Amino acid sequence: MVRGGDIGIGTCLLINGTPHIVVEREFVSPGKGSAFARVRAKNLKNGNVITQTIKTADFVEDAQVDLVDCQYQYSDGELFHFMNNETFEQFEVPLAAHEDRAPYLKEGETYTIVMWEGEPIDIKIPYKMVFTVAESENYIRGDTVSGATKPVTTETGLVVRVPLFIKQGEKILINTETNEYVERVNE
Amino acid sequence: MDIEVLQSRSRMVGVLREFFLSRGYLETDTPALAPSLIPESCLEVFATEYVHPTEEHRPLYLIPSPEIWMKKVVAETGRSVFQLCKAWRNAESVSRIHNPEFTMLEYYGVGLSCDDNICLTEELFAALAAQETPPRARPPFRVMSMSEAWWEFARADLDALAEPEAMRAACHERGLLVAPDATWEDAFNILFLSLVEPALPRDRPLVLDRYPAGIECLAADIPGTMYKERWELYVDGIEIANCFTEMANPEAVRKYFSSQSAKKRSALVPHRVDGSYASIFEHFPPCSGVALGFERLMTVLLGKKSIAEVLLFPFEAFSC
Repeated sequence: MVRGGDIGIGTCLLINGTPHIVVEREFVSPGKGSAFARVRAKNLKNGNVITQTIKTADFVEDAQVDLVDCQYQYSDGELFHFMNNETFEQFEVPLAAHEDRAPYLKEGETYTIVMWEGEPIDIKIPYKMVFTVAESENYIRGDTVSGATKPVTTETGLVVRVPLFIKQGEKILINTETNEYVERVNE
Repeated sequence: MDIEVLQSRSRMVGVLREFFLSRGYLETDTPALAPSLIPESCLEVFATEYVHPTEEHRPLYLIPSPEIWMKKVVAETGRSVFQLCKAWRNAESVSRIHNPEFTMLEYYGVGLSCDDNICLTEELFAALAAQETPPRARPPFRVMSMSEAWWEFARADLDALAEPEAMRAACHERGLLVAPDATWEDAFNILFLSLVEPALPRDRPLVLDRYPAGIECLAADIPGTMYKERWELYVDGIEIANCFTEMANPEAVRKYFSSQSAKKRSALVPHRVDGSYASIFEHFPPCSGVALGFERLMTVLLGKKSIAEVLLFPFEAFSC
């Protein structure tokens, strides 16, 4: 069980028997009422996001989850294929419930998979990741103000804005929460 | 440090003072340190004490609102009053709409109802609006009753949900988590905060009118209904002001005190209760009062996102 006031982003709640991960949380005190935590939680089976309001002093059921390091292998359009780094066991995660993760999945990279009752229910994306610029338009130097940016597409299909000096084939570090460019990575 | 915001603040304070004085309101100036308060289980206070050089120390509390004092002036003088002053609330999470110390604007109009105060507050908004005020913070206000909002945004008939069991069932039917022993008020808030409040229209200010009597407060009941003469003003999804037609029945006020005092037993910061408060309603004129969070008002009128943007020294920037 978890106390309403202790729920944060990333807390896994068991709502009507289905695990949900909290993606937003705010504390609200309605006029003349007690304090509540209002959360937006993603159903980890079908990806639907719902709102729940929990009194900060009340307890609700949380989902007991395990975190397992796994290597992402490929997507076949319907399933993401992963391999457990310790047991080498292969398994699939349905794409439909985690479509928003697709642009962050790089083949051969290790991700933390959230397991609940032996089933993979979420893919955790590292806070910062290195991507390769796959497509970039050429901008003419000198005709723009300083600090100008352009959109590029990474090898995974993620579109981000980067400074004009970034060229196709270069590696860039991206904040995956905000999709903001952090820096160029020289290897 | 945004000096322009400070200048906007002084302009607004000047305008609102003139606004009320020109309408015959008396400006009050009441103590910030009070020996006792109204018991309100919905909030926590700051406690301190008067250290007497030779005698026993005396507990004192920073006011969460100047309400008690102002109503004493109304009872004594029969005059409409207004006041802009600091108020303090403890144990709230500091957020884009909360700062433990804030400025409260309260105005009590003798002979007014809470409907009259909708018009007065619209006029106040018109007087205070600045060039940068977005349309969503400008009058005219949209007025919607709580029961209309429940029907519109949750397809729930609030009149049919007067019993705790029915309210809990309404939550269940909509997939909302609710404890089997949740009170009516908690179940009401769970449904309201999950489905109704996030859906309220934001294109212009919204008066959410006729609050259920199941949420205890010092507003007058609307006879023959389960509602009170109370509204809350929402601007851009933020609760800006609360208005009552004041409950002027000393017996009902005493009942409220005893019920809230019982709920207050689990308070983090206990405080003394003003035992003489109910007696001021033995000779109290018909009156309606508004309590308005002044920094929240500035935030929406200046098109800002957070009250931290309108405070010179926001609490979250304090280093302790």
